[in-house]
Amino acid sequence: MRPIYYLLALLAGAALSFEGAIYAELGKSIGQVETSFYNFAMGTIIVGLLWLFFGKGDITHVRRAPKWSLLGGLLGVVYLTSIVVSVPFVGVGVTMVAVIIGQLIMSMVIEHYGWLGSEPTRVNKEKVFAVLAMTVSLLLIQ
Amino acid sequence: MGIFMILFTLLGGITLSAQSSINGALSRKAGTLETTLLTFITGTLFLAIFILFFGQGHLLALLNAPKWQLSAAFLGTLYLLLTVMAVPKIGVIAANISGIAGQLLAGMLIDHFGWFNSLEIHLDGKRILALFFMVLALYLIYRGNKRSAAEKELRSRTNPA
Repeated sequence: MRPIYYLLALLAGAALSFEGAIYAELGKSIGQVETSFYNFAMGTIIVGLLWLFFGKGDITHVRRAPKWSLLGGLLGVVYLTSIVVSVPFVGVGVTMVAVIIGQLIMSMVIEHYGWLGSEPTRVNKEKVFAVLAMTVSLLLIQ
Repeated sequence: MGIFMILFTLLGGITLSAQSSINGALSRKAGTLETTLLTFITGTLFLAIFILFFGQGHLLALLNAPKWQLSAAFLGTLYLLLTVMAVPKIGVIAANISGIAGQLLAGMLIDHFGWFNSLEIHLDGKRILALFFMVLALYLIYRGNKRSAAEKELRSRTNPA
């Protein structure tokens, strides 16, 4: 059962790459912030429809949930904007490396301390080596 | 200027990780589709305000843009939905490393074939070696997670508080 979720996460990353390449083209004609606005607005429509027909959760939970747990959308905007702003200055390659290194280190710290509602899971040497292997892989791609 | 930009982008990666764990936490109580919907709605609202004040592009040119470019929105939706599903099951690190591997794999494919008017960069020895290290990283994360889970189970068994 579990390997399926690794595969899904892999697929999610692949979708992000295709999205980035395609939006780079759209950004040239309509503007970059406008492109991310389009992404979020269209996403709202698609997921809104899916939710209407297939939503099984409890949307009213957002009224009772801690406020910090509602900040996912704002963080997504910071992420997209940081990419859009820095690519013209330092290039796609360096931008991606910086994003990924930030992502790796932060997810280790979050999980180690069990921040933001995640299961606290100690960092062990396998995970440190995994990040090292990923860094080597990044350096080779550049 | 360059260093400042790199730091800014590091912050982008940090926010992406924080987003996946925050959304993972919310989805346990509110549900996968509900969490994804909320992320899109709040993102749309923030950007709407931003564009009204600082937008310099041509939003209406959307109507004339080629449809294949517009279809990328489905991919963004897929990314968020799948991440929200995976984080509660396999954890933040595993979900992010798998996601990064998928990102790089697809990136190499796009480069190799020069899809979407991107620069054509062919697969060479260095990139194939990079693939090997990526698979190694995924394997190590899987092993590390299994060990953490086993240790946790052991602790709860010896100390049933």
